[in-house]
Amino acid sequence: MPGDVISRFASVRLGTRGNQRKEQGFGQVNGHHGEILQGVFPDDVGRLYRGLVTLPCNIVSSTAVFRPAPGNLVTVPDDKLKAAEAARLTLDSLGLHDQGGHLTVESTIPVGLGMGSSTADVVAAIRAVADAHGAALAADEVARLAVRAETASDSIMHGDLAVLFAQREGNVLEHLGPALPPLEVLSVNTAPGTGVDTVKQPPADYDDWEVQAFRPLRGMLRRAIRTGDAALLGRVATASARISQRHLPKPAFEEINAIAASTGALGIQVAHSGTVVGLLFDPRNPATARRVAEATSRLDTIGLPPALHFRTDAVEVRHVA
Amino acid sequence: MSLEMTMSQPLSRESRGFPDYELPRLVRLTDNLHGAAFFLMKLLPARHMLDRAAADGRLKPGGTICETTSGTFGLALAMLAAVRGYRLILVSDPAIDEHLHKRLLELGVTLEIVEKPYEVGGFQTARLDRLRAALEANPGSFCPSQYGNADNPRAYAEVAEQIAERLGHVDCLVGTVGSGGSMSGIARFLRHLNPDLHVIGVDTPHSVVFGQPDGKRLLRGLGNSLVPPNVDHRQFDEVHWVGAAEAFLATRRLHQHHALYQGGTSGAAYLVADWWARTHPDRKVVTLFPDEGHRYVATIYNDDWLTTLPGWTGVLPEAPQPVAHPSDVRPNWSSFRWDRRTLDEVLAAGTPVARDLAEAA
Ligand SMILES: Cc1ncc(COP(=O)(O)O)c(C=O)c1O
Repeated sequence: MPGDVISRFASVRLGTRGNQRKEQGFGQVNGHHGEILQGVFPDDVGRLYRGLVTLPCNIVSSTAVFRPAPGNLVTVPDDKLKAAEAARLTLDSLGLHDQGGHLTVESTIPVGLGMGSSTADVVAAIRAVADAHGAALAADEVARLAVRAETASDSIMHGDLAVLFAQREGNVLEHLGPALPPLEVLSVNTAPGTGVDTVKQPPADYDDWEVQAFRPLRGMLRRAIRTGDAALLGRVATASARISQRHLPKPAFEEINAIAASTGALGIQVAHSGTVVGLLFDPRNPATARRVAEATSRLDTIGLPPALHFRTDAVEVRHVA
Repeated sequence: MSLEMTMSQPLSRESRGFPDYELPRLVRLTDNLHGAAFFLMKLLPARHMLDRAAADGRLKPGGTICETTSGTFGLALAMLAAVRGYRLILVSDPAIDEHLHKRLLELGVTLEIVEKPYEVGGFQTARLDRLRAALEANPGSFCPSQYGNADNPRAYAEVAEQIAERLGHVDCLVGTVGSGGSMSGIARFLRHLNPDLHVIGVDTPHSVVFGQPDGKRLLRGLGNSLVPPNVDHRQFDEVHWVGAAEAFLATRRLHQHHALYQGGTSGAAYLVADWWARTHPDRKVVTLFPDEGHRYVATIYNDDWLTTLPGWTGVLPEAPQPVAHPSDVRPNWSSFRWDRRTLDEVLAAGTPVARDLAEAA
C-alpha cells in the first residue's frame, strides 16, 4: 500500500519514532542584513526566477525550542503565526499528522527592517521540530518548508554559503561559493520607527532593461566571490541598491551613497524589502577603522546615526550608538 | 510586456538557436587591452529580438520576418529563420556582397534587391519604401527594426555579464557604432556597475551618427546616413572617426600582431582601443570585434585591392587628430570630446568658426 511506503519512509528518516524522539528539540539561525543582490535571474534553461543573495549578519538570531506532545500545537508567543505554520508543516512532512507540542521562539532580530526576522523564526522552528525527532533536515528541505509557510523566504538556512536563492521556490539557482568575501558593515535604519511589512509587499515590477541589467551584476558577483574581491562585491551591491531604489525607495539614499563614496566605502547595500542600508568597508584595509569613524560622524550629522557595526566573518558586535 | 508575462513565457533556449556562437571570445592583446572577438555579433541581438517578438505575439510560429539590411544583421536573421522555421524577406541593394547574396539564398531568404536609388534619399529611402510594401503585402509579418528596437541594446546584457565575470572591473570600453545597439547597450549596463566607465564610440567620416555631414563611405558596418534611435549619445565620452584605409590597415595589424582574423570594423575599434590603452597603461580596456574576416578575403585581406584604395599610405597614424566640432570633417582618424552629451547639445555648442567669432566679439 502506498500509505505504508510513506510512513515507513518517514520512520526510516526519523529513526524509530519513539526511540529517537527527544524531550525537546532546539533550532537556531542567524539573521541577515538585507541583500547584496536581488532581482530576476534565468536558470540553466533560461526561465526567469526572482532571486537574491543575502548579506549574512551573525550578530542577530532566532532561537526555537520544541517539546513534542500529543494533540495541539501551542506556540509562544502566539503571534508567531508563520513559525507555528512552519512547525505544523514540518510535523506533517515527518508523517506526524496528529502530533503537536509546545513551540517557543525567541529572536534578537529587529522586525520590519528587512533583516530576516520572519524567515529566521520559521527556520528556527523547523529546525527545532526536526531536532526533537532526531531528523537532520538538509538546507534545501528547510527552504522548501519555509516557503510553504511564508510564500517567500530569505536564504539564511544556507548559513554563510553564497547562494543565488529563488526566494519564492526555495531553490538554489546557483551555488556561488563557500562564502562572500568578508565585509565590515556600518548599518543605518533609514526609516526608524516605521518599518516595512516585508511579507505583504508586492514583488518588484522590474522593467525590461532592469531584467537584463541583473545579468552583468550576477557576472561580477561570480567574479567577486571566486577571487575574494570585496571591491567588486561593493559595486554589485551598489548597482542592485540603485535598481531597488526605483521599487522601494530608501529615504536619504543619495546622501548615504555620497557619504559612502567620500569616506572610501566599497559601496552600499540595502534590504530590498526593508529599511536598512549598509555601508560596506574592506575589513582587510588598515584605513577602515578611520573611514568607519568618519562615516559614522557624517551619518550622525544627517540624523541617521548607525545602529550597528559588524563584520560578516566574525561574531563580534560593536554598537556604535 | 509586463514582468509577470515575461516570467511565464516559454523558454528562449528551447527555441533553436546558436547560444555558443552568440558571445565573443575574450582575448588579451596587451597587458591592459582585451578584445571581445565575435563570430557574428548580430546573432545575439537578432535572437533576442525574435525571442521577445515571439513571446508577446508580434511574431507567430512559422510567421514572416521582413527587414532591410545588406550586412551581418541579415545573415544573423537568416540563420535564425532557417532553424526556427520563419520566412524571411530581406530588402537590399546592388551593393550587397556576392557571396553573402548566395549564402542568404541558400538559407532560404527571399531577397528583394532595389535596383535604382531615388533621386532624393538614394538607396536608403528606396529600400525603406520597398520594406513598407513587403510588410503591407504580408499582413502579420514582423519587422525587427534594429535601429529603433530597444531589444537590440538590451540583448547585450549577456556580453556585459561575460565581461564583468571574466574581466571584473573595466575602465574603458571602445567599439564601433552602426545601429548603436552594441555600444549603447553594453556601455549602459557596464556603467551601472562603474559610473566612471570611459566610453569611446568609433564612427567613420561622413557618417551622420555623431553629427558629421552625410557623404560617401567606404568603411561599412559602422556609421550611418541617418541617426538611429538606438544610439544613446549620452553614453559616449569620446567619439573617433576612422577612415577606411587606416581601418583596413589596422585590421591587418590585428591579424599580424595578435592572430585575430576579423572584419574591418574590428580594425577600426582596434586602432582606437590600442591607442587609448597605450596612453593609459594603468587602465583596463575592452574593445569589440564584431565579425570575422572570411567575408573580406577579396578586399581587406587582398593587398592588390587594399593598396589601390583612396588615401592608402601603408602607415598607421600614431594618434588621432583632435577636432573641436563634428562638422570639422577630416579624411583620416580624428577624435572629439563628446562628454556624454546629446547630439543636439553637441551641435548647438556651435561650430568652431561660430565660437571663434563669438569670442572675438
Ligand atoms: C561588422 C559590423 N561591425 C559593427 C557594427 C555596429 O554594431 P551596432 O549596430 O551594434 O552599432 C555592425 C552593425 O551592423 C556590423 O555589421
